[in-house]
Amino acid sequence: MSFDLATVLGFVVVSGGLLWVLLLVSRLVRPSAPGAVKESAYECGELPFGPAWFNFNSRFYVVALVFVAFDVQVALAIPVAVVLRGLLAGPDAGFAFAGFFGYLGLMMLTLAYVWRRGDLSWVRDMTRPVGGSRPAGVVAKPEVA
Amino acid sequence: MELQFDRGPEGGFAVGTLDALINLGRKHSEWYLLFGTACCAIELMQTGGPRTDADRFGMVFRPTPRQADVMILAGTITYKMASRIRRLYDQMAEPKYVIAMGSCANVGGPFYDSYAVVKGGDLIVPVDVYLAGCPPRPEALLEGLMLIQQKMEREPFFAKASGKLPPPADPWPASARGGAV
Amino acid sequence: MTPVEIKDRLVQVVGEPVEWQAGPADAAFVVAPEKWYAAALALRDLPELDFAFLRTLCGVDRPAANCIEVVAHLFSYKHKHAFVLKTRVGRQAPRLATVSSVWPAANWHERETYDLFGVSFDGHPDLRRLLLPEDWVGHPLCKDYQEPPSYQGIPMMRPARPAMETKG
Repeated sequence: MSFDLATVLGFVVVSGGLLWVLLLVSRLVRPSAPGAVKESAYECGELPFGPAWFNFNSRFYVVALVFVAFDVQVALAIPVAVVLRGLLAGPDAGFAFAGFFGYLGLMMLTLAYVWRRGDLSWVRDMTRPVGGSRPAGVVAKPEVA
Repeated sequence: MELQFDRGPEGGFAVGTLDALINLGRKHSEWYLLFGTACCAIELMQTGGPRTDADRFGMVFRPTPRQADVMILAGTITYKMASRIRRLYDQMAEPKYVIAMGSCANVGGPFYDSYAVVKGGDLIVPVDVYLAGCPPRPEALLEGLMLIQQKMEREPFFAKASGKLPPPADPWPASARGGAV
Repeated sequence: MTPVEIKDRLVQVVGEPVEWQAGPADAAFVVAPEKWYAAALALRDLPELDFAFLRTLCGVDRPAANCIEVVAHLFSYKHKHAFVLKTRVGRQAPRLATVSSVWPAANWHERETYDLFGVSFDGHPDLRRLLLPEDWVGHPLCKDYQEPPSYQGIPMMRPARPAMETKG
């Protein structure tokens, strides 16, 4: 165990050190001729205009959120799937069964929630209600001023 | 200055100066700017194509001038395009080279009498290799890139890096340029 | 419809042409500059003519006749017939009504005509040079155009250089 950790430490030291050595050698060897035009923003040869920052569509945020949730679940489920057969043959079979399939049920619940909300379709369906228990087709009465 | 290779039955060793080693790396990874204005650009694309494969020499195209070593002036250069070409050349990092490909980039080509055509790329950027042709065949462009390789071999890299080699004469200095565009 | 029939239909709207060029090539209807816009609208909107497609619009400098001719080539996909509409404007400060509201393609064609001939189009949304740089002086396709000796420091003629010495 300790020998393995020493190997890992050696690996970290060498890779980190190599990175620094390469960067240092590049810095000493390469020519350096900075200039105003050279460091200006690249816009295919044109003079750059306008800001470089813009707003991303919030759909990407939703997609990323859903991805993170399911990716983590899959990453945790894969090792279990490998050893499940062995566990089911052993003494703790009931516990393993309940644990794994409870976990699977939780994943299904997440999927059902996201699906029901309409977050899985790229173009949001505007006729459906979001969250809430109000059935589709019933429009809230406008406030009378 | 080349590396002297001494190949034995189970490998060998190479002897040379640090310049030679660095130039060996430079000449086998000559990245050209993905840029072309007219018909010569079609031949440039074919030079990267399967028959005259430039990639086997390590020459890949880069769309940004920051990562490019060579700019190939492929096509007619108009006055409107001149300032953009100059800006792209200025945005490339040293050490950089320019190939004038085809008649238009050499001297203005068949459109020499036109009011809108610059009579040669070397009125805008310093050119290292001139290729004749309208358009030059892909093999000719490959020869031009190999001439740049030979130029890289001959250059003492550290002299250039330390500034002892003077930069090439600027044909279009900033003081001569009128407006910004 | 034959060109003569188109001409007769157009004459009912804008009156007799300044000139009717019925040659072996495309027949051309030369209209006065004041009627340019009305003729364009009629050619597009009359259902039996239906020239919805402007193929090209350009200029011709005629110093002998002391005019700049503006030529529009039209085509109708519905009736598969073609027509040529021309007008003549003076060479000093030439002006013409824009047809970019009639055919959107005319936007860039009129910019090119302005760039190369100097014809300014009244009512054009964005009349500036198209092919030449913004700060170019002069209109090159006019027959009396003189090239400047240099543009922004780049010479117009290639400077004479001593012959390069070749090795081997």
